[in-house]
Amino acid sequence: MLKKNLTILVAVLSLCFTGTAMAQTVVNGIDANYPPFAYVDKSGKPAGFDVDAMNWIAKEMGFEVVHKPMEWSTIVQAVVSKKIDTVMSGMTITTERQKQVNFSTPYWTVANVFVVKEDSDLTTEQIIASKGRVGYQAGTSDGKHLVEENEKEKWGLNLRQYDSAPQIITEVMNGRIIAGEMNMSPAQDAIAKGKAVKIAGVYGVKEDFAIAIRHEDKELEKTINEGLKRLMADPYWLKLKAKYIKAEK
Amino acid sequence: MIGQKLLVILDAFPYILQGAGVTLVIVAGAMCIGLLIGIPFALIQIYGHPLLKAIVGFYVWFFRGVPILILMFLFYFGVFELLGLNLSALATTAIVLGMTSAAYQSQIFRGAIQSLPQGQLKAAAALGMGKRQAISSIILPQAIRTSIPAWSNEYSIMLKDSALAYVVGAMDMFTRTHFVASRTYEHLTLFIFVGFLYLVITVIGVKILAKLEKKLRIPGYTA
Repeated sequence: MLKKNLTILVAVLSLCFTGTAMAQTVVNGIDANYPPFAYVDKSGKPAGFDVDAMNWIAKEMGFEVVHKPMEWSTIVQAVVSKKIDTVMSGMTITTERQKQVNFSTPYWTVANVFVVKEDSDLTTEQIIASKGRVGYQAGTSDGKHLVEENEKEKWGLNLRQYDSAPQIITEVMNGRIIAGEMNMSPAQDAIAKGKAVKIAGVYGVKEDFAIAIRHEDKELEKTINEGLKRLMADPYWLKLKAKYIKAEK
Repeated sequence: MIGQKLLVILDAFPYILQGAGVTLVIVAGAMCIGLLIGIPFALIQIYGHPLLKAIVGFYVWFFRGVPILILMFLFYFGVFELLGLNLSALATTAIVLGMTSAAYQSQIFRGAIQSLPQGQLKAAAALGMGKRQAISSIILPQAIRTSIPAWSNEYSIMLKDSALAYVVGAMDMFTRTHFVASRTYEHLTLFIFVGFLYLVITVIGVKILAKLEKKLRIPGYTA
């Protein structure tokens, strides 16, 4: 009995400690705090637009994929240091990131918005002129843009950094910040789930989402680009959009 | 409204409870590593060669002085990477917490050993025991017993620090709670709930260690 228990213990421990290194299987890192693109569902499995899209590509192109929830602010570092192989999780192409990783062809264009309380009348212009407290997400390209512009244009906004878009939504609802800056999609996700917030207006420039891949993984990059091309030409692409992205513009 | 919040908790409970298992694996791993390094380090600090003493002193100084959060990043992306070890987030958390705990545990055991009457070693020598034998069969059995209260304190600290697993993405209790909160937008409700779970696990562990302390108490001996 004891021996059996020990065997199980050793098996479980070695499973825990082997890490991510498995040949052939592509480990896709996701920000599980980023609905509707990536999150964990009720049963604890990774889900979302990007998860389903990556699964389709893997099946089409004949490789295995597992999704690994990661901390967003260090996710690019995780690709470089081979903790994960790719990031398909609403990642915007930026020049800083391109120094570290390659990007696939863009598959999604998204606007950035300010989210305010449902009963607020604030517009984007008023938020910028308010000198009030505004939230943004750490490690995001749009958040960085907001910080830089606030500095350069001397808006005097009191910017607060958060770990995830849903946290920003919660903070807007409880009134600690007057507005939160984020991508359109998580904002729409919150509204679709009946949260008492609305979109005040767009902010900044539109951004392109793409899949991040290590510089040296040329073969994988080719495979993924081909898979993306096929996916976006397939009727499944529209189905995915209908399933996850509410009120698309 | 309350019903809806309860429903969110009920829904998330099995998922978060699995995370409690992960948290316990981290804490158990960390406490074991801490114990295995901590006891030899305590002995070195008292009886060891000056050079070894200096090395251990440096270790303790380093791991007590640098925030665990920074150590986590340092080891996950730096040290383990350089060593060519591809360790999972869970293993990294357990090892980093364990190495930090070793610094503290070595001080716990050092204090316990030094609080023993100094004459014991001499008495052992008079009986013809070597130093090594005296330490392993006279000093340590007492010191480990009297360390249990401080060790139980270390356990509760480790349990709470294990929530730092979040920064490298190990699927512990807190990381999972955050994921559920992101899906449901019920941050406050879920964080209160998980805080309560940490409390419960702390109390259970401390109670077990208190029982152990009572059971192992040396009859008639007061430190």
